Amino acid sequence: MKFDMDYIAHHNELTEANPYFKLFLTIILLIVTLALDNLYFDIFIFIVMSIVILAIAKINYRSYLKFLSIPMAFVILTCLFLIFFFGKGEVIYETGIWGIVVTTDSLHYGVYTFFRVIGCLPSLGFLALTTPIAKILHCLETLKVPKIVIEIALLMYNTIFIFLNEIDTMQKAQETRLGYHSYMSSFKSLGALASTIFLRSLDKSETLQHSLDSRGYTGELPVYVPPKKEA
Amino acid sequence: MLEVKNIKYSYNADYQALKGVSLKVEKGEMVSLLGKNGAGKSTLFLHLNGIYEPDEGQVFIDGEELKYDKKSLLKFRQKVGIVFQNPDDQIFAPTVEEDVAFGPLNLGLSMEEVQNRVTEALARVGMSGFEKKAPHHLSGGQKKRVAIAGILAMKPEIMVLDEPTAGLDPQGVTNLTKLLKELNDEGITIIISTHEVDLVPNYASKVFVLVDGLLIAEGTPKEIFAQPDILEKANLKVPIVTELFQSLEAEGIDMENDYPLTIDEAKDKFLELLNKN
Repeated sequence: MKFDMDYIAHHNELTEANPYFKLFLTIILLIVTLALDNLYFDIFIFIVMSIVILAIAKINYRSYLKFLSIPMAFVILTCLFLIFFFGKGEVIYETGIWGIVVTTDSLHYGVYTFFRVIGCLPSLGFLALTTPIAKILHCLETLKVPKIVIEIALLMYNTIFIFLNEIDTMQKAQETRLGYHSYMSSFKSLGALASTIFLRSLDKSETLQHSLDSRGYTGELPVYVPPKKEA
Repeated sequence: MLEVKNIKYSYNADYQALKGVSLKVEKGEMVSLLGKNGAGKSTLFLHLNGIYEPDEGQVFIDGEELKYDKKSLLKFRQKVGIVFQNPDDQIFAPTVEEDVAFGPLNLGLSMEEVQNRVTEALARVGMSGFEKKAPHHLSGGQKKRVAIAGILAMKPEIMVLDEPTAGLDPQGVTNLTKLLKELNDEGITIIISTHEVDLVPNYASKVFVLVDGLLIAEGTPKEIFAQPDILEKANLKVPIVTELFQSLEAEGIDMENDYPLTIDEAKDKFLELLNKN
């Protein structure tokens, strides 16, 4: 199964829910989780938000696991490093290899960092999985976030799909001709891919500029307010 | 209506893409610009609403010369809408309705008017109900329709389409051709660049042939497709129907110098030939 976060954000039970509410809830949850720094609270938030995502937004559990798995890999790595390589204080475990030890301090860091992330992830996931980016950007707009930031985000958001598609196609074309058959050819192919994608991006940006200009672009993206649905 | 006078344009010192092109399109016409890849079709199109400023020559719209200051450009870009070949180059907004609204909003219309135009334009291209969809979740044909709606919402007098049928499936091509014909009937002047010679006689009242930055021929599809030397120079072919009648003539059936270009014409010709014998 291909994991398409954007598709999920557009097709779940909470897509149409008030984006301000979702945005504020997420921000408040993040702040509270980080500020309290309490293991039980972290787990509590994890369970509650997971239930919200799975049961209320009705997001497929496999998609949710995929969403969690990507940052999870980083978190586990980071926490292992924290436990074994950081901190001072009383030594509680000696690995016996090159004097690497676990101290009370480092264990504390590692465990707390891990659970903090565990608490924050579903809170962020709640926003990311249930709210289309366009809606989040609109919220930010009314909240007086500088226009330039939003416009760049908006154009990036759109072009990233074209960009990914392009990379995907080129990579397949290279694979078809055994471009990733050996280590050496993988390096070469990847290099060629990177430089071509850069040139293509330049080209595309020029065409996009032309097409925006030809519809009267003035250097500022206007905001469209869709008509209220008649009940 | 739209007149281009002796336009020259170079991308750099040693490559001149347009070497003095002049053409005239009357109001309400539906014309086609034929030419091989790299002939300068897209470059020419980008001159029609002032995206490119020619090195030499002028563009006239409604008898008024195109100027390149901000205010005039906005006016001319409302009058002449360009639909780009690849809808991905044109559709940039996160939802369909926002994209369609982009042009009208730039024109400074009231929000209510913009809303009406968005609804109307999407209905016109058969994309009502897709307002909130993300463009990258649409199919190629649907994206094309949204791109056209984005131009329609600006209520242009002239609509310029760069290879609109490229990459569409056969049904998509048929539907698009039908839509363009209807828009033309409603009074919009339409200019299409294409390689699809089979379709051209179906809609175009006039054909221009561009080769290496020069316009080498113009005329009705009948006139153009009767000149093998011109087709040769432009890397074109006669429509497949015409090819059939030409090979029939080679078998000894006299066509009296009248070769059908479309299926309908071919049908009539067949009936005529059958009745004669």
